Amino acid sequence: MSAKSNKKRLGLVQSIETWTASSPDLVALRFEGEAITYKELNLRANRVANGLQGLGVKKGDRIAIMLPNIPESVYTLVGTLKLGAVAVPFNTLYKGGEILHILKDSGAKCLIALTNFAPMINEIRPELPDLEQVILTGERNLLFAHPESTAFIQLILQGDLIKDIDGAYQKMGHILLKIIGDLGVKEAWYKHRGSIRLRGDKIATFVISEVEGMGLINAVVFLGPLDTRDFLRVVWVPPEIRDKVVEPLTSVQQETGKRPLWDQVKETVVAAIEQGFQVEIKEGSMVRDELFGYEKLRSLAYKAR
Amino acid sequence: MKWKIFSRKRRKGQWRLIFKPDGDVADVMALPGAVVEGRIAGRYLLASSVTAGTVIIQGVGRKGILAGVDVAVDHEAASEHDVDVAYQPRSGRASLRPAETINFEEMMLNASDEFVPVSTTPEDMACILYTSGTTGRPKGVKLTIKNFLCEQQSTEQALDVTPKDKIIGVLPFFHVFGLSNVLHTGLIHGASIVLVPQYSPGNLLRTIMESRPTLMIAIPTMFGHLLTLLERKKVRLPDTLRLCLSGAAPLPKEMIEAFERCSGCRVLEGYGLTETVAACCLTPPDGVCKAGSIGVPLPGFEMKVVDGDGKELALGEVGEIAIRGEGVTAGYYNLPQDTEEAFRGGWFLTGDIGYQDQDGYFFVTDRKKEIIIKGGLNISPREVEDILLTHPVVKEAAVIGRRKGEREEIVAFVTTRGEVSARELVSHCKQSLSNFKVPDEIFFMGILPMSVTGKVLKKELTDDYRDERKIEQKEIGPGSVD
Repeated sequence: MSAKSNKKRLGLVQSIETWTASSPDLVALRFEGEAITYKELNLRANRVANGLQGLGVKKGDRIAIMLPNIPESVYTLVGTLKLGAVAVPFNTLYKGGEILHILKDSGAKCLIALTNFAPMINEIRPELPDLEQVILTGERNLLFAHPESTAFIQLILQGDLIKDIDGAYQKMGHILLKIIGDLGVKEAWYKHRGSIRLRGDKIATFVISEVEGMGLINAVVFLGPLDTRDFLRVVWVPPEIRDKVVEPLTSVQQETGKRPLWDQVKETVVAAIEQGFQVEIKEGSMVRDELFGYEKLRSLAYKAR
Repeated sequence: MKWKIFSRKRRKGQWRLIFKPDGDVADVMALPGAVVEGRIAGRYLLASSVTAGTVIIQGVGRKGILAGVDVAVDHEAASEHDVDVAYQPRSGRASLRPAETINFEEMMLNASDEFVPVSTTPEDMACILYTSGTTGRPKGVKLTIKNFLCEQQSTEQALDVTPKDKIIGVLPFFHVFGLSNVLHTGLIHGASIVLVPQYSPGNLLRTIMESRPTLMIAIPTMFGHLLTLLERKKVRLPDTLRLCLSGAAPLPKEMIEAFERCSGCRVLEGYGLTETVAACCLTPPDGVCKAGSIGVPLPGFEMKVVDGDGKELALGEVGEIAIRGEGVTAGYYNLPQDTEEAFRGGWFLTGDIGYQDQDGYFFVTDRKKEIIIKGGLNISPREVEDILLTHPVVKEAAVIGRRKGEREEIVAFVTTRGEVSARELVSHCKQSLSNFKVPDEIFFMGILPMSVTGKVLKKELTDDYRDERKIEQKEIGPGSVD
């Protein structure tokens, strides 16, 4: 079959393989100036199929896919078909309760999602016994920093301090809960991984990551209401779905009527972490090597793409 | 005993605090990043100055966005609104990985290039797609390999896709329309698909102008946005465009005509459901486009209009639209009851109310579940909405029924272009509607809740709507049995 129409009754997998054989350089996908040929698409779909098979995925298993239209989404959809597995693609705008329902109902064994959904998935993961693997891709993280709202708390720890990830999530969750409580919000709760909530709304959230044998805990606490309007003007989001992009949030100020001062935040956070990890914390500064790294990372961050 | 004394004497570990309440958004990444890099370097240099733990507490003095490299940011808007924009560097060797997850790129890197597809039968499931509809909880629609094959055959003639085609891939592949009529159609026929991961009108127009596609498949909201942009910028679409397909919601005839003038190509309107693997009905490519019609059934699909007992109705009579064909789903995942209720004698009941005219064209007038019953009379929300929309100030309208004791009331939600009173809208309705169809209450809204495909989410307008996005402390909602 040269570059003629496919009038045979071929499915997606067979068609792609046929195009690969007859016209390998035919372009299948265009993405941000890059052309991906049928041959490349086929090869990457094969890699996904092999990768998933290596993780124990078999014919008939459900693979949940929470991706926008990026090449990885196509590789995954085709790779899943090649494996005879069942694709369960769903809306990337879905949030906690909706995702939980779909993953639970479909009994998905794997979930493939964007890296920025990690905290959300983390939070529901303990309720999903069938979900064995979470596979993350894409660099679409998005974080809003507002002078009147967000306080960032980050812990960089030796790997052995957070070997037991479940334990670490429990510990950090309760430390954050204590911080929120000490800042005057008494009704907050922490169920599992990820978020401190009041009613169903989020007041603080965190994620634990690993890098080179170290553990990094990234947390954000909402001190005051987060006005997202200006942010959403910068990252374009259709007006109809704006309220779905940001999860329902609350803040210390909304719950207590007062935004805590930074000195109080510092004291409260330090005390809670000292107690939680049984350590002493002393204010210090960065050493020389760290300052070099700091300048380098800042200049990378502000370099226009 | 000895041990206890020993342990009490042991010094507590010392951690370092870095406190910076007035940094900027790049610090949120650069401060911990620098500590991490310092520790990696320190490990190789065997520096003893590295402590077991560092705690960073920081805030920002200015608004800022920390974005992954793949996020589309409007830098002009950013400086206009005083928002700093910093990027996270593309993750390299020492990349951060959320605990207990697998990195997709790493999985690919370690896998082989060769794979022999697992053998399947046409009856095997290919996909489960969850439809939220505009009411109720998402249901998993089972779609088999055969369903997808049939859909390809059905649309083949009308779309006539070949390797020369370049299709705009702006519809999300997690939705049946994008998955079936863009991804499957395009790749099966050797076309190329231009991926648009994040929709915005500007983004779509730019992609169209740069990539010069031959085929655009989109939803009415997108056609509407594009029209406005084209008129404002006084540009024409590239002459490479040979065909457009709209679906998922009705596209008004004036808009079809306006877009055809702008693009110089035909705009076909399709009708389909997740349960029919997208389009099952289409404007005939060589035929007439009738205002308000969803067109005629595609080859491979049979459609009819039935009454409450499943009896076929005569042309022109209003009832429920039923569909049969190999492209129709086998049913809902884990929901035998819903599956049974959705089929009657092998025909799938769509839940859409409508009729078929003398020429074989189908028309949809309402959703069955949305019909309001007031005083024993059926009221079509669509009819009331259409009247509200004829008022010059009304931009959008959604009408629902609300239980009040034993009876149902008509409640309208509108967005407007200017000032208008509820009383004026009520009297406007009275001019064209019988009294019992006039809204009992009208609410003015800033925006109406919409789905990604531009349908008004009426369930979010009801009094008992529960925000499914929230996670509750007690296991009351999500995941529990209804």
